Amino acid sequence: MFDAVLQALVNGVIVGALLAIPALGFSAIFAVLRFPNFAIGALATAGAYIAWIANVTLGLPIVAAIIVAFLSAAIFGATLEYGALERLGRGGALMKAIGSLAMAMVIENIVRFFFGNDLRAFDLPLARDLVFGPIRIGPQQITNFIFALAIMVAIWAFLSFSSLGRSMRAVADNADLARLKGINPRLIALVTVAVGSGLCGVGGTLIGLDTSIDPLLGGRVLLSVFAAAVLGGLGSIPGAVAGAFVIGMVEEITVLALAPAYRLAVGFIVILVVLVIRPSGLLGSKAG
Amino acid sequence: MTDITRRHILGAGVAFAGTMAMPAILRAQTGPIKLGTLTPLTGSGGSYGPSMANTVKKAADEINKAGGILGRQLLIISEDDQTSPEAGLRAARKLIDIDKVSAIIGTWASAVTTAVVPVCSQSGVFLSTVSGAEPITLLPHQGFLIRTQPTTTLQGTKFGEFALSANAKTVAFVSPQTPFTESQFAALTKTVTAAGGKTTSLIYDDKKTTLRTEVDQVLRGKPDAIVMGGYTNDTAVLVRDLYRANYRGSLFGFGYSVNKQLVDALPADVSEGIYTLSPSPAEGSNAYKNVSRLLGVDSPDTYSCQVYDHLNLIAMAMAVGKGDTGTIIKNNVRKVSQGGGERVETAVDGLKLIADGKKVDYDGASGPCDFTDIGDITDAKFRYEQVKGGKITLLKIA
Amino acid sequence: MLTYILFMLVVGSIYALLAQSLMLSWGLAGLVNLGLAGFFAVGAYASAMLTTWEQAPILVGVSVAVLAGGLAGLLVCFSTLRLRDDYLAIVTLGFAEIVRIVASNEVWLTGGTDGISGVPVMIARDTGVWFHLGTLLITVAAVILVYVLQRRLLASPWGRALRAVREDQTVASVAGKSIVRFKAQAFSLAAAIAGLAGALYGHYTSYVAPDQFQPLITIYIFLAVTAGGNARPAGAVLGAYLLVAFLEATRFLAEIAPGVTALQAAALREIAVGIGLVIVLTLRPDGLLPERSQKAPAS
Repeated sequence: MFDAVLQALVNGVIVGALLAIPALGFSAIFAVLRFPNFAIGALATAGAYIAWIANVTLGLPIVAAIIVAFLSAAIFGATLEYGALERLGRGGALMKAIGSLAMAMVIENIVRFFFGNDLRAFDLPLARDLVFGPIRIGPQQITNFIFALAIMVAIWAFLSFSSLGRSMRAVADNADLARLKGINPRLIALVTVAVGSGLCGVGGTLIGLDTSIDPLLGGRVLLSVFAAAVLGGLGSIPGAVAGAFVIGMVEEITVLALAPAYRLAVGFIVILVVLVIRPSGLLGSKAG
Repeated sequence: MTDITRRHILGAGVAFAGTMAMPAILRAQTGPIKLGTLTPLTGSGGSYGPSMANTVKKAADEINKAGGILGRQLLIISEDDQTSPEAGLRAARKLIDIDKVSAIIGTWASAVTTAVVPVCSQSGVFLSTVSGAEPITLLPHQGFLIRTQPTTTLQGTKFGEFALSANAKTVAFVSPQTPFTESQFAALTKTVTAAGGKTTSLIYDDKKTTLRTEVDQVLRGKPDAIVMGGYTNDTAVLVRDLYRANYRGSLFGFGYSVNKQLVDALPADVSEGIYTLSPSPAEGSNAYKNVSRLLGVDSPDTYSCQVYDHLNLIAMAMAVGKGDTGTIIKNNVRKVSQGGGERVETAVDGLKLIADGKKVDYDGASGPCDFTDIGDITDAKFRYEQVKGGKITLLKIA
Repeated sequence: MLTYILFMLVVGSIYALLAQSLMLSWGLAGLVNLGLAGFFAVGAYASAMLTTWEQAPILVGVSVAVLAGGLAGLLVCFSTLRLRDDYLAIVTLGFAEIVRIVASNEVWLTGGTDGISGVPVMIARDTGVWFHLGTLLITVAAVILVYVLQRRLLASPWGRALRAVREDQTVASVAGKSIVRFKAQAFSLAAAIAGLAGALYGHYTSYVAPDQFQPLITIYIFLAVTAGGNARPAGAVLGAYLLVAFLEATRFLAEIAPGVTALQAAALREIAVGIGLVIVLTLRPDGLLPERSQKAPAS
């Protein structure tokens, strides 16, 4: 039994790492623009498809495909924000949230229009798991995990050390104060949306590498990503990562302890409990 | 496609003008005969519906090229049920009330079929479905319903026998929650335990992107055969995770989930050796070859085969009944599907014989297509296939 | 054609009830309810289970559905009292998912993914067009009833207090308003209306199943309310009927698109729905019928 739990926790950490990337993107967008962007699932799908074209059709290596996915999802996300959503901001955050739901429908169906619903897979062999004592883990999972960690470190370094990153944090903390300091909030918002969307594209690609891709890919993980970001504290970057790992592990433990079908239900109950104890989430700031 | 659309618009215009000009009695006899497809084009059933709608359109084109039915052309109108009973019901109403179709072909999700059955039987529209859930044919449908999918109990039994024939002693049933999960597992268990084996089951969430922990859970019971009850997308995830977990026993899946799409999406060594089961016609069936030709694939999926049969049966039933209403289809479908007569495998052949006053008995791409009074098929052969070297190869038909 | 229009009007009326539910909790109390589909499902199941399996009269079933919806609303609201408003959205979203998961998996209780078929109808099905017309009259009566109720509530001191709470919680609480109580009442009442909608839907289509209550329904209703105007009952009702008309109209648009497969036509249709919504939101951010007394604030 102990082995089973340990294995489930390891699986959960790997799931969490995959959730963490889009959760980071979601939380970053929320931090600066203050609205839940529901289009992240569709952006993840779009990114995965672009990466698939780069990898399978154009024959680029996986790393290049991931970079292409990041760049194209960043462009899609920024276009979405400035082509459609920004104008809805007058009506409040919820208008933008609803607008993003509608845009998610549009993106998913553009993908469907061009690619159909058939499963597609990356040009990648599948390796059997490596066994370490009672624990087994797949080489692809390890690679994905390292990718995810590297991206998280890169984001952390970007936010901590680059002037653009510091400006982003300043705008997230207090947009008015940031403006006084001569930071252009609009430019910062643009960069944040692009980076956040790009991360979603990468997240979708990593999930696609682990499984296969179809137009519902992003929609399937949307709720878990959302849950991770909320659990960590909306708008908190380290919170999103922590939330993703917790949600990942909770979902896998549910399989053992209750029934696989109840993973989302258990996830939401965990959120409820955490939020009742800590109303701003695991690592969230108090600011509303 | 363009010309169909143009014909459609022209057809609608002509029909409208016609309605204005002609006395009521003649109205039904002019213009194309309209049939609807209601398949999942978006939503979780989306990997099946497009090919189904496509098959019906192409098969109808062939009938039209050969002269149509009773001198009239067939017009296929495709709607999307969005894999949701709510949206499916709205789409069905549009097909029935606006397009005035005589039959709706191809409802896939059991929930959509259950929602649509009362509407069809009330409006006198014939419904042919591929849904497998047991209770569907027990709904009050006044004969307006047929289905070509073998009942799930039968499939569960067949899977049990199939697994036993591969020397399995412990059989695990791994499936998402579907309307037939329970009955299938019960039938499987009955067959396997009767031979001294045992079964376990695990219900997973088909939206999960990894099933590693579920696989661990299943493998802890040390099964030597695993029966997979899901659909293509989630089965692909399951097969990958079973491979990674070093599972070496035998794998069994439905033909509709372990299909060309799934095999193409997985490396050849991962899908190697999976056994599949689908309803099938007798060996050497031309109907099966026709679907294969229409779609341009070697092994067409069972749902496309089934809707091909639906269209052929409906077309011939209208020809025999000399009319285009749902009631005529209902009253005549069994006259062309069973009960002796010249054996035919396409509506094009059948329609010629019917025009000559001969009786026909259709054998389709999915099986002999003989129906009970409540609309279930009486007999089904199954194709036993195995994935070898990235190709689905036929083992036997029995 | 007539049946089709009647059917869509009934569906529109069900949506209008849901839209009024959303208007009450979101437009008036400022509580974002992303779990509308869940309350819709609770009502549908409550009435379907009672009337189909226990042979209870439909009126009893519908009443219980309203109560069950209200109770579920209270439950969700009380478990979220301490949460920030933007977290209520995720909890309600989670609630709707949990309802669907339970309905799919607890076969002993709900019939599982098979759903409950043969739910008794309000007007005999074999009366032809009267089946639709009669049901339409009943659902429209329900819409009017809820509409009148909402108008009266809005004009009452309770409604004014509710709006005060929405505008500024601090000021309202200083003025001695019990914010928690107002919110819980509004949310629960809204959930009860969604329950009513669910019951009526089940008694029209004779079928209740988990797949009917996908999150897409909630999105549709948000669209309807936003398009119509989120703080006026009339706006919500108008928005709901317009939404159904728009959803159906996209069918015909997709049909005339040249040179596309059935799959592509379906994709185009959903693209049209999404873009249509964004256009409406852009052109009429306050909806077709904006709130009368004061402009809706940017929250």
